[in-house]
Amino acid sequence: MAVAVVGSGLAGFTAYQALRRGGLAPGEIAVFGTDDDPAGAFRRHAAAIRQRRMRSESDGHCLPATFPGLAVRSALRRRSPGPLVASVLDRYHPTLEEFLAHVERVRERSGWERSLQGVRIERVRAVEGGFELDRHGRFRHVLLTPGQPGLNMPEELRGDPRAVHAYEPHEYRSTVTVVGAGLAAATEWLNALEAGAEVVSVRRREPLRRVLNVPREYFSRRGLGSYHRLSADERAARLRALLAPSYPPGADWDEPLARAAAAGRFRVEESLNGSEQVICATGFRRGFRHDPLLARLVDDHGLETFEGWVSAGADGSVPALTDTTRTLALGGAPAQWAFPAADTLAGARYVGHGFLRRIKACRIR
Amino acid sequence: MSYTLRGRLESRLAALLPLVAAACVLTALLHRWWPVQAVALMAGVGLALDVQAYHSLLRYQPAWAAFPLGALELGLLLGLMRLLNVIAPLPQALALFAAGWLLSQILAQAGFPLLRLGYSEDGGELGRLGGVSVLAVGVALAGAAATAYAGLRPVVHLAAGVHQGPLVITRREILIGDAGAVVRGGIIIRADDVTVKNVAVVGGVNGITVESVHGTVLDGVSVSGAQLDGIHVRLAGIVIKNCTVDMHGNPLGQGIDISYNMGMGTSMVEGCTVIGGMEGIATHASMTEIVHDRVSGTQMRGISVDEMSMGTVMDSEVSGALGIGIYCNDRSLCMIEHDTVVGTRPDVASGNPTRRGVGVLASFQSQADLRGNQLASNPVPMGAVIDSQIAATH
Repeated sequence: MAVAVVGSGLAGFTAYQALRRGGLAPGEIAVFGTDDDPAGAFRRHAAAIRQRRMRSESDGHCLPATFPGLAVRSALRRRSPGPLVASVLDRYHPTLEEFLAHVERVRERSGWERSLQGVRIERVRAVEGGFELDRHGRFRHVLLTPGQPGLNMPEELRGDPRAVHAYEPHEYRSTVTVVGAGLAAATEWLNALEAGAEVVSVRRREPLRRVLNVPREYFSRRGLGSYHRLSADERAARLRALLAPSYPPGADWDEPLARAAAAGRFRVEESLNGSEQVICATGFRRGFRHDPLLARLVDDHGLETFEGWVSAGADGSVPALTDTTRTLALGGAPAQWAFPAADTLAGARYVGHGFLRRIKACRIR
Repeated sequence: MSYTLRGRLESRLAALLPLVAAACVLTALLHRWWPVQAVALMAGVGLALDVQAYHSLLRYQPAWAAFPLGALELGLLLGLMRLLNVIAPLPQALALFAAGWLLSQILAQAGFPLLRLGYSEDGGELGRLGGVSVLAVGVALAGAAATAYAGLRPVVHLAAGVHQGPLVITRREILIGDAGAVVRGGIIIRADDVTVKNVAVVGGVNGITVESVHGTVLDGVSVSGAQLDGIHVRLAGIVIKNCTVDMHGNPLGQGIDISYNMGMGTSMVEGCTVIGGMEGIATHASMTEIVHDRVSGTQMRGISVDEMSMGTVMDSEVSGALGIGIYCNDRSLCMIEHDTVVGTRPDVASGNPTRRGVGVLASFQSQADLRGNQLASNPVPMGAVIDSQIAATH
C-alpha cells in the first residue's frame, strides 16, 4: 500500500472518502486508528452537551463533493422541499441524527472497514521514498489526522470536585457556572436553564456571533488566498482572531437567555462564584505539543512551527517532508495553519482534496 | 459561496456555454440574429457586474441572492436590448434568459461541484474547464460576430446628380442616394436583400421594377414620369416606406402595383404619397398591409385590393378618386380601418353604376370589414355588389 491515513475520526474518514472518489481502492489505503466508528468521539462530545443540531449546513457532510448535500438528501427522504428552501436561505442545519445516520451510511458503503487497521500509530518517521509508521510499514503518502489532543481544562479548576468538562457526561446541579463563550458554552447555558438551574456565565470576552466557525470567505480561496499570503506573525494573529469563541446568532439562543436573565436565572460574571457545579466549556487543548505523535514528528524532523501550529502549505502538506515523490499532510485541527476551519467537515474535505491532488501528481505512485 | 473574481467569471462563462450554443442554433434556424445578440449582451452584463459590483460587494453570495441578482441582470439586459435596438420577441427573449439563469443555478449548485470536487473551496474556479469555457464562449461569440459582419450587405452611395439608367441591381446591397441623387430611366432590382434609400427616379418603363426576389426595401424613394407603373412588384416580398409616386399625366399606370406574391409573406406599403395614375396602390393575389398612405387624383380607383388578395388598409387617406375610393374585389378579404375617403368623383362617362363615386366598394364575392372610417363626403359612402359583403362598425 502506498497511502496511509493516521487517525480514524471524522477528519480521516472524510479525507478517506475523497481518496476513494479519486479512484483508490480500499486495499490501497491503510487507515490507522482504534475506533471503527469514525463519528465515535464526535458522538460522545455531542451527547455530553446534548447537541441536537449541527452548526454546519447542507454541505457539512463527509462526502468529497458538496453536492448533493444533506438538505437534498433530507428533502428526498421527507418528500418535502422544506430543507431545500431552508438551505437556499442559509437556514438549514441538519439534526445530529441526520448527520450520524449519514456517516453510518457512508461508512457501510465506502469500504472503510477493509482499510481500517485497528492500531494506533505512535511515531511517523521520514525514510527513503516515504514514511515509516511504527513497525507497520512504509507509505509514500501519509495524512495525519490525530484528532483533538485532549480536553482543555483551566489550570485553576483541575482537581476541583465541582468542575466537569462540557464534553464529559454530566447532569446539572441547581446552580451552575459555565466557563467559556463558544458553541458548547452557549449550548450548556440553555441545557442548564432547561434543567431548572440558575446559570452564571464566566467568560474572558464577549462571544462572537457567527453562523459558522469562521467567516464564510475563509471556506474558499476568496478568503484563503489573502490568508496564505500573510506573514507568519500576521497569520498567527489572524488565526487567533478567527478561532475566538463564537456561537450562531438567532432568537433560538437569545430568547431563552433573555427570559432567564429577566427572571434572575442567568447572569454574566467575571470570575467563579460559589456555584455547586462548574462546567468548563473551554474546548480542546491547542497546539502540536499536546499531541505526542505530532510533537515527536516535529522534534525528529526539525519541522517549522509557529505558536503551537505546525507550519503547513496551503493544501495542508508539510513542505519539509513533501515533494514530487512523497507527501506528508495534516488534517483536522492540526491543519489550521493551512485552513482556519480545518477542524470542521469542510476543512476535512479541503485537506482530503489537497492530499488526493498530491497523490495524483506523484510521479511514483 | 464565496467566489473569487476568477471563479465568478469562469463559472458564469462555463454556465453560459450551452446557452451560447443554443443561441447559435436558434440563430441558424430562425435566420435572426437576436438570440446571439441577446446572449452576448447577457454575457456582457454579467461579466461587467461581476467585475464592477458583485466581487467587491458580495464577499459571500448566499443561494437566495440568485433571485434578486437575476432580476437585476434581466432588467439591464432588456434595457440594453432596447437601447441597442436588438429587436427580439419578448416571450422568446425571456425564455432564453430564464433558461440561462436556471441552467447557471443548476450548474453552480450541482453540476460544477460534481464535476470538480474542489469547486466550492476554489471559489468557483474551474481549472482547465474554466479556461476552455472562456475560450469557447469567446470563440463562439467572435465567430458569430464575424459571420454577421461577413453577411453585412455592401453599402453603395449614389452621388448627387443625375445618373442615366436603367440602373440594374444584381447583388444584395444597400443603395443610398446622397441628397440630390437622381436616376433617370428607372431602377430594376434583380437580387434578394436589396435596400434602396433616398433615391429619386425619373422616367423608365416602370419607375422601379422588383421581380422574383426577396427582402427588398424601398425607403424614401420618389418616382415620377414612369411610362407604366411607378413601382412595379411581381412575385416579390417587399417593404415600401416613406415614398412619393407622382403619376401625373399617366392615366393608365398604377402608382404602386404589388402582385402575385401571396406565398412570400406580408408586404407593406407605409407612409407613401401617390398622386394620379389609374390606381394609386393596387394589389393582386397578394398579402399586403397598406398603412398611413395618402392617395389622390386617381382615374380608376384610389386603393385596390384585388384578385384573391388579403389586405389591410389602415390609417390612410384617399381623396379625389374617380369612380371608387377603396376597392375590395374578386374574392378578396379586406380589413379597412380608420381610413378617410373623401371627394370621390362619380365616373359618369363610364355609365357603370358601381362607379358613381363610391367611398368603399366590395365586389365579386369579396368581404370587407370596415371599422372607424370617415366616408361621409362621397356620393355613395360604401357598397357591396355581386355576392360581396361589407361588415361596417363605426
